[in-house]
Amino acid sequence: MNPADLEGLPEEDKQKMVAMIDNMQMKDSLRMYNRLVEKCFNNCVSSFRRKNLDSEEERCVTKCCEKFLKHSARVSVRFAELNAGAEAMMQQQVLQQQQQR
Amino acid sequence: MSNPNMSPAEKAKAFDMAQLEMEYRVDLYNAMTASCFAKCMDTRYKEGDLNVGENSCVDRCAAKYWQVTGIVGQMLGGMQQQQPR
Repeated sequence: MNPADLEGLPEEDKQKMVAMIDNMQMKDSLRMYNRLVEKCFNNCVSSFRRKNLDSEEERCVTKCCEKFLKHSARVSVRFAELNAGAEAMMQQQVLQQQQQR
Repeated sequence: MSNPNMSPAEKAKAFDMAQLEMEYRVDLYNAMTASCFAKCMDTRYKEGDLNVGENSCVDRCAAKYWQVTGIVGQMLGGMQQQQPR
C-alpha cells in the first residue's frame, strides 16, 4: 500500500488509515524482533556448558542479525516489484474489459 | 473508499477489508522472507553480507514464492484472480 492510495480520502478516513498502518508496523516490528532472536538463537547456540555466550556464539548472533536484515531489505525490494507488476497487470485487464464493452 | 457518498456502514466495511488485505500482505511478505532465508542463507554466518550466490538465490526465491502464491490462489478460487492482488 503506497501513500498515493490515501490521496483523495476525507481527512478523517485518512487519519484512520494512517493510524492503522502505524499500528500494524509496530506490531510487525515487535514480531520480527522475536522471530529474529529465535532464528539466531537456534542457529548459533547449541551448547549449555556455561551460562554466558562465548565469543563465537556472540559473533554468530551478530552476523546472523546483519544477514537477516540485509536479506529482509532485499526481499522487500523484490516484493515491491512483484506487487507493482501484479497491479499493472490487473489494471491492464480492467482496461481491456472496459474496452470490450 | 474514496467515494464520499458511502454510508458509514459501507465505509466501515471497506476499512475492514483494507485492513484484512494489508495484514494478508504483511503475512505474505514475512512468510516469503522466512522461507527464502531458510532456503538460501548459509547458516554458518561467516559474514554479515550476502554473497552473490545468496543474492541471486533470494531474487529467484521471491519470484518463485510469488508464483506459488498465484497458483494456490487459483486453486482456492474466489479470494484471488490470476495473481495475488
